[in-house]
Amino acid sequence: MGRNRWNLPDLGFGIGLRTVHYSYILANQPPIDWFEILSENYMDTGGRPLYVLDQVAERYPVVLHGVSMSVGSTDPLNLDYLKKLKALADRTRAHWVSDHLCWTGVSGINVHDLLPMPYTDESLRYTIERVRAVSEILERPLVLENPSTYLEFGTSTWNEVDFLSTLAQEADCGILLDVNNVYVSCFNHGLDPEAFIDRVPADRVVQYHLAGHTHKGTHILDTHSDHVIDEVWSLYRRSCQRTGGVATLLEWDENIPGFEVVHAEALKARRHRGLPEPDHQRAYGT
Amino acid sequence: MAPDLGNTQKWMQAVILHPGSDRQAVASSEARKLVPPSRFPRLIRPSRTLDSFERIGIYRGMYLARLQEALEADFPGLLHFLGRKRFSDLATGYLDRHPSRSHTLNRLGDRLPEYIRSSPGMARQDFLYELARFELLMSRLFDAEESPALTPEAIAAVPPESWETARLKPVAALSVQALRYPVGAYLEAVRQGKPGPATRRKNHWAVVYRRQYALRWLDLSRPAFRLLHALVDGVPLGEALSGVLRGGRQPVGEVQLFSWFRGWVTEGLFQAVELEDPQ
Repeated sequence: MGRNRWNLPDLGFGIGLRTVHYSYILANQPPIDWFEILSENYMDTGGRPLYVLDQVAERYPVVLHGVSMSVGSTDPLNLDYLKKLKALADRTRAHWVSDHLCWTGVSGINVHDLLPMPYTDESLRYTIERVRAVSEILERPLVLENPSTYLEFGTSTWNEVDFLSTLAQEADCGILLDVNNVYVSCFNHGLDPEAFIDRVPADRVVQYHLAGHTHKGTHILDTHSDHVIDEVWSLYRRSCQRTGGVATLLEWDENIPGFEVVHAEALKARRHRGLPEPDHQRAYGT
Repeated sequence: MAPDLGNTQKWMQAVILHPGSDRQAVASSEARKLVPPSRFPRLIRPSRTLDSFERIGIYRGMYLARLQEALEADFPGLLHFLGRKRFSDLATGYLDRHPSRSHTLNRLGDRLPEYIRSSPGMARQDFLYELARFELLMSRLFDAEESPALTPEAIAAVPPESWETARLKPVAALSVQALRYPVGAYLEAVRQGKPGPATRRKNHWAVVYRRQYALRWLDLSRPAFRLLHALVDGVPLGEALSGVLRGGRQPVGEVQLFSWFRGWVTEGLFQAVELEDPQ
């Protein structure tokens, strides 16, 4: 049983469900703990993606993870979107639903990016109300992820981690702590990632994200295109000591290798949590 | 005074969507109404390594790259025909005119065919319009609801005297098309990595459909198109058959008609036979 505020379960070590792995998963039913589903890829289709999702949800625990909720936007909440999201969560018996502390557009436009919030009192008050409203519509607590960011607003009066922590406490939502995003944002803004990790309220952390990134010299882009670097593993270990370890998910979205490679990368997290290797980890030769 | 959250978001979006350079975007009329350019360096803090323009430029670059990539995935035929540079120019203009208004990228290209048709001076405009329309159709059929195909048992259960007035309900993922260019063959060649086929005008007819979650199409003769089009439109079977037997320039025999019909049923183009209410 997890130590988080809602006793949401520690699902173990999963990966994101991606199209390139569909055939492998259906044919082999690999021994993976769970899958994270990109909500928007399945909300508006009645074709093969939904068929595959139904097969996966039948065999594995799943969690929904979205990129278009736009919880920080000053546009009205998209009730049609939330209705579809709730239906998908019910259909897949998702353990929880997550999205990002960000906005994706205003005036009816969606730029399909996780845009940063100004960390002000005004945005905090506003986002708290929005998160409460979303949780009510979804009839389950929302879990919010810290995004990777590439700029800082001069108007911000809060730092990101205190803004996120206060939001989680006040709006009663969970935190999906993306450890790679902590590293990326702190590098881009010249901040201390360990201090960030240490200030996250442990009882609010429901899930971890791990991923690789692309270092451009002057800044880091969160590309999910490579293996997790040692510094991120170190931050993950540091956070696990505080949370006791929660459901952990490896993201890989560019130059996606075969299923075994991605799964093996996810299973490395077991070692970093001090857990023994399962048999299938040895089978993948990691 | 600091801009409020709504203004900040409108400003940032205006800067991201602006098709010019980073500096032009910050100085654009829409952006400067919300945040005067003189305030920009205070609104977006420079980092140790990047100035304020470079920092917001990251978001601007990612916006175009992400959305162009989505359009490339949905329109591989257009990309192949135009090449990356011309496709990129097309996508940039299209996104400037029609930014996404949906929570899903699957709907991003919905207005691309009409944009192509309304763009002045575009070479091979008719062909590109039809190719874009066909690729968009493929995307929609890919996402259409799955419907079970008509079974032999369901056909056998229809009383013989009821066929005359029966209506055939097509599966959801199906569309009958009258085309002016060989866009299906063109896409197939692109998919298989073969040299592009001729793109000269050639009237032809086809049914595009999904079977076992895979998209397919069948070329149709003109009379077969007329019959299938009528059936898909809900015309009773007897009326649709006699319409094809009566009209048209190409004579069609009954044996041919029933051969088509059997083939379409075998391909799973229909999901149900709807019988007239005896009342």
